[in-house]
Amino acid sequence: MTTSPTTSRTGSTSTTTTSTARTTLPTGGGLVRDDERATGQSLWLVVAGREMLVKLTDKNFIISTAVTLAFLAGSLGLQALIGGGSNKVTIAVAGPQSRQVIEQVGRNAEQRDQPMQLTITDSPDAAAVTAAVRGKSAEVGLVHDGDAWRLVGLSTPATGLTASVREAVQQQVLGANAAAAGTTVDVLTRGSTVDVAALDPNDDPGLRYAVGFVFAFLFYLASLLFGMTIASSVVEEKQSRVVEILVTAIPLRQLLLGKVAGNTLLALAQMVVFVGVGLIGLSFSSYSSFLPAIASASGWFLIFFVAGFVALACLWAVAGSLATRNEDLQSTTPALTTILVVAMMVGLVGEGAVRTVGSYIPVISTVAMPMRLFTGDAAWWEPVVSLLITLVFAAFAVVVGERLYARSVLQTQRRMTIREAMRAGD
Amino acid sequence: MLETRGLTRTFGETRAVTDVDLTVPTGSMTGFVGGNGAGKTTTMRMIMGILAPTAGDVLWQGRPVTAAERARFGYMPEERGLYPKQPVLRQLVYLGRLHGLTAAGAKRTALEHLERFGLADRSDVKLETLSLGNQQRVQIAAAVMAQPIALILDEPFSGLDPKAVDAMADLLREHAARGVPVLFSSHQLDLVERLCDHLVVLAKGAVVAHGSVDELRHRGRLLHRLVVDGDAGWVRDVDGVSVLDVDGGTAVLELVAHDASDRILREALRRGSVRELSALVPTLSDIYREVTA
Repeated sequence: MTTSPTTSRTGSTSTTTTSTARTTLPTGGGLVRDDERATGQSLWLVVAGREMLVKLTDKNFIISTAVTLAFLAGSLGLQALIGGGSNKVTIAVAGPQSRQVIEQVGRNAEQRDQPMQLTITDSPDAAAVTAAVRGKSAEVGLVHDGDAWRLVGLSTPATGLTASVREAVQQQVLGANAAAAGTTVDVLTRGSTVDVAALDPNDDPGLRYAVGFVFAFLFYLASLLFGMTIASSVVEEKQSRVVEILVTAIPLRQLLLGKVAGNTLLALAQMVVFVGVGLIGLSFSSYSSFLPAIASASGWFLIFFVAGFVALACLWAVAGSLATRNEDLQSTTPALTTILVVAMMVGLVGEGAVRTVGSYIPVISTVAMPMRLFTGDAAWWEPVVSLLITLVFAAFAVVVGERLYARSVLQTQRRMTIREAMRAGD
Repeated sequence: MLETRGLTRTFGETRAVTDVDLTVPTGSMTGFVGGNGAGKTTTMRMIMGILAPTAGDVLWQGRPVTAAERARFGYMPEERGLYPKQPVLRQLVYLGRLHGLTAAGAKRTALEHLERFGLADRSDVKLETLSLGNQQRVQIAAAVMAQPIALILDEPFSGLDPKAVDAMADLLREHAARGVPVLFSSHQLDLVERLCDHLVVLAKGAVVAHGSVDELRHRGRLLHRLVVDGDAGWVRDVDGVSVLDVDGGTAVLELVAHDASDRILREALRRGSVRELSALVPTLSDIYREVTA
């Protein structure tokens, strides 16, 4: 038998049929130019690029991301609005002494790093101040009536504001009285300061629950969304048989790698945006003092999220490859969604030993370990060990997942079970 | 040249394909015919590496085919395969890139093929919104756009109207003319007869006939038909002639002796008029029926 090089262009065997063929292949004989052949390109990157492009042009994905962002920003903005509302006050005053007191309130607030927006309106006398409050052109009024000061509001003025005004009045009067007695305020108040020291600054039960809820919610949302994306992407290719064309062009491993990489990157990007918006929002809220602790826990959360997501990604692909139609996903994915629910519940309501154990179990640790870090009951080495366990599990899951995927993705006849996929030869 | 040697595949107890040797010469159009379940699709899937053979080899230029070579084969699966919900151009570019083209190169050739098929203005619509015939055009574009070194097409003509069949046939001939071995399966024997240089007939998973169309036509006995006025029964008595059938004035004969035709004609003319004496060249359908019987 003769062998000829692949570049051979002989048409010697052609008969009348081929010799009469028109040569009207698209331009230039339809031939691909040498510079149009990619050399050494990584095909999995092409796959990953497509996965991301498809998702980023998917209306449902854009809408769900926008809604989640709006929800996050909205809830944080609402809090800022409520918090910020009390900082903005219009005060009617009568006389320069009252004005000085209010100005002192402003200075004190600034020193405490909680500036207030105070608008001072001058009124000729006490009656005019009362009238201004009654007429709602001012929220409160301050009247100096001989030896007494009176803070006037339609209802009882806010306790915070009352305390601030009381403090400022005392400062003013104390200063004047001290000067009259030939001493200073500092001398009079020496040794009387009380500092606040929190031994466990993050032990705010409400906040702890809120942080746990956000981590668990984001983890569940993103894992499910992108996990299902991988599964649907696999079953779409299987259902439409396009996988038969794909496998002739690209090794299955690269196809799987591209899918996992593309979706992991998108999931991480989405998570970074969510967490970033959350942290920015937090910095404007009254909880801003917790920012460093939450930011550090969030950083760990992102790292654990990626490891946990990769660990499950190939298994999502298997869930897709066992199915033959999109509808089959309902029966091939419950095992995975159950894992996600358990991880979310342990992170959310697990306490003490349950959470400690959970923080070492791959995937479950995604929520549990950052929570332990946030509340300060994990030593520095614990997340490192837990992460290593997750990575080992991920490597194992990827190998098993790839094998099961390769065995089932070309079986287009009917839905397979895991057991059948494990037994299948090729 | 693309060949298979002893290609065999079993599914459990069932032997789907047994010991298939076939050759698709460089630059030839080879038709692959056989009834439903004869094993054509299984064989093609093994050639493309989608299905592992139980035994046997696929050879490219005489050596076992490598994954890199296979990646440059153009393939059209029986059950078609593209992304129904993706825009036409985008998926062609994607498949072109997976077949080793640059993004720009893939876009250019994809657009050229869409242009050729009159689908240039539909390049941004979802594939599923096209008619089935047009979806098939996109499918063939996906198979040929990266300038494949071989073409394996499972029923490429099914579902096409006659005009589209001609356009598709032209396209395949052009690829064959540039030296590409083209193997395609079809149920339409008249079409295969019209297009093919070579033919492989598969029955019950085994090759029952192969060769050029001319070779297959002349591999059996060459028969002639004689039509005369009156009864033709006398031909049974002519030496050097083997008679297969006589029906009134029409007889089907095999001319065994060298000068049998002269003798037949002389005798016929002596008895009256000769209306016809012609060679009976079997059609592909005749051959097919004969070899698969």
